Amino acid sequence: MDLHIVVRVLGTVDSCVLAGLEARRVHVECDIGRGSEPAFHLVGLAATTVKEARERVRSAIKNSGLEYPRTRFTVNLAPAELRKEGAALDLAIAIAIVLALTRRSAPPNSAFLGELALDGTVRHADGVIVAARSLRALGYERVFVPAEDAAEAALVEGVEVIPCATLVAAVNHLLDVEAIVPSQRSVAAFETRAETTEHDLAEVHGQDEAKRALEVAAAGGHHLLLSGPPGAGKTMLARCLPGILPPLELAEALEVTQVRSLLGELPRGRPLDWTRPFRSPHHGVSMAGLIGGGSGLAAPGEISRAHHGVLFLDELAEFQTPVLQALRQPLETGRVSITRAGGSVVYPARFTLIAATNPCPCGWAGDSLRACRCTPAAIDMYQRRLSGPLLDRIDLQVAVRRVPVEHLASEPQGERSALVRERVVAARARQLGRQGCLNAQLKAARLRQVAGLGPAARRTLERWAAQRGLTARGFHRAWRVARTAADLDASDDIEEHHVLEALGFRLQDVAA
Amino acid sequence: MAIVGSRRPSPYGEAVAEQLGLELARAGVVVISGLALGIDAAAHRGALNGGGPTVAVMGTGVDVIYPAAHGVLAEAILAGGGALVSQFPDGTVPRRHNFPARNYTMATLSDVVVVVEAAEGSGALITAEAALDLHKEVMAVPGSVFSPLSVGTHGLLRDGAGLVQNARDVLAALSLGGEVLDDPLATPNELGFRLPAPRDGILSHLSDVLALNAAEIARKLQLPVAEVLGRLTALELEGAVRRHQGGYVRALRRGKERA
Repeated sequence: MDLHIVVRVLGTVDSCVLAGLEARRVHVECDIGRGSEPAFHLVGLAATTVKEARERVRSAIKNSGLEYPRTRFTVNLAPAELRKEGAALDLAIAIAIVLALTRRSAPPNSAFLGELALDGTVRHADGVIVAARSLRALGYERVFVPAEDAAEAALVEGVEVIPCATLVAAVNHLLDVEAIVPSQRSVAAFETRAETTEHDLAEVHGQDEAKRALEVAAAGGHHLLLSGPPGAGKTMLARCLPGILPPLELAEALEVTQVRSLLGELPRGRPLDWTRPFRSPHHGVSMAGLIGGGSGLAAPGEISRAHHGVLFLDELAEFQTPVLQALRQPLETGRVSITRAGGSVVYPARFTLIAATNPCPCGWAGDSLRACRCTPAAIDMYQRRLSGPLLDRIDLQVAVRRVPVEHLASEPQGERSALVRERVVAARARQLGRQGCLNAQLKAARLRQVAGLGPAARRTLERWAAQRGLTARGFHRAWRVARTAADLDASDDIEEHHVLEALGFRLQDVAA
Repeated sequence: MAIVGSRRPSPYGEAVAEQLGLELARAGVVVISGLALGIDAAAHRGALNGGGPTVAVMGTGVDVIYPAAHGVLAEAILAGGGALVSQFPDGTVPRRHNFPARNYTMATLSDVVVVVEAAEGSGALITAEAALDLHKEVMAVPGSVFSPLSVGTHGLLRDGAGLVQNARDVLAALSLGGEVLDDPLATPNELGFRLPAPRDGILSHLSDVLALNAAEIARKLQLPVAEVLGRLTALELEGAVRRHQGGYVRALRRGKERA
């Protein structure tokens, strides 16, 4: 009986798998038996990528010059009902085996992440920062991560990050042969890079109306629709929006970094991504591509990649209707929850939507130089595709017209983005100071509290609402935009002219 | 006589068609048109406001109103002592190839065809061509040289169509004389529109044919675009301007408001 206990050897190590922006804890246990034939059993609802860990782990251990069990042994991934995917459990499995053989235990409150190469190198894993943040929340104090991901993990405060270049290095650290120096938060990562704005408003010819709409959109967090013929510069205008938004806050940058890390899209050598996202998916994008999805657990879609940035949908009428319908929830809440076979995940999706559309199928309706050849019925049908619940959630709509060619040769005369950004930053500060959120996110009740209308302003808004048959939602949206116009004016009160300007951006209201 | 033109006219064209319909109806002329959107509807409306019968020549069966939104107009035409006529059997639904035949019929029924705003290739030009084949008088209303909607009408004028500046020009072509007009002394370049009193200076910079947007006006006046946009909205609320194809145009007072 005694003999039995002595020869049974167990190694236990913790790791995790990711479900959206949350980590689920995984215990990796290795039990080395006394059997005759050497055999490696892996149990615990492992997906294909994890089953293949057997081959990687065996080669990595042997090629690292470490001892490999010569008997039958079992690695269990607990909890058994949680489906495990990805190669990031490799390191934990290898460590569990090594610890079992050496009869050592892992330091307490430690977790291991990383994929193994056959030569024992620890390879990059996606979502290391997400894992580190979640593991800290679960009470872990130390994470062993691939060396190349260490700077990223070190962004998370309150958790010690041990960078592992190779399996041997990790083992030597654990067996007190040679300690690895923990990674420090790199100061350089926190220095906001001087934003290299590729697209400056000053380079756009004319289009002052659309530029003003961009400024209002940036200041209040409002969504914007640009309608105009091909070549009017809708795309160029949209690309200018990130340049007039304030630089990302640290908390925002960390969120952007997490989504990008999860997708494995974080630029190498830049653990913290300060770039304001600008995403412009093609109109053929699938539901999974835009909103998020895929088999098992849903991956983030374009709307989450655009978190804290800009989502530009060109040719809005060409997108599939169900895809556009699915945008409604994230537009309202700034988050999206997606349920797939593997469970439900929530991703952040607080973006500014810029949609662009032609006024008619041929694109030339309203152009002063080229006649539109669409029948009124075709135009009607085209615009009906756009109408409804999605358009109802876009606060600002503006018609963009082509700038006459003869003007294009001259030097454009407009404000630089940096100048506009100063006004945007000031207007945002006013909003945050007053109500803790941007105007576009104000609930109706709160709007009445913090954004009172003067008598003249109220009369004008009500008159328009009656004349154009505004819904309650439309009424409140115009009100919010008026509040933003007032904030750009550094005005505490919403004056009548602020309301009038806001109404000027309601292309959708047709006189009854 | 027939009044035909674009299905998507400028406010100017619409106002001209309505005014011509009204004054010609008052002069005892039967106004013929095609019950379509835009110029056609304006001509019918004007004729009804002028108290005259008006005839809609349809490209569908007489029991199929197209566009469906013109059901009320069709009823008003019948109530006004006019007629809905069609060469197609009852129940014929709108078919693209039926409309040129309808246009030909319209020309057959008319002594004079007046074209108000027609872009290149417009169906109204088919009616005009048919009228020429049938040795009927073709006339056209000039428009802005900046507007694509003037290309067809100016082409007709260049090729010898009669110039229409007012209802009297049409009456002269019909050899009816102008004595029944509202005001025979009215200057010939005035069709009878009144512009709203210019309460806002911006108004004088707007056209009734070409849409200008807030940015273009703001540049001209050297004013901030936000201010101009607000002032345009105020004018829009008062009905002095209208949004039109991505910009603003001066709203012309309708004939029926004067009547």
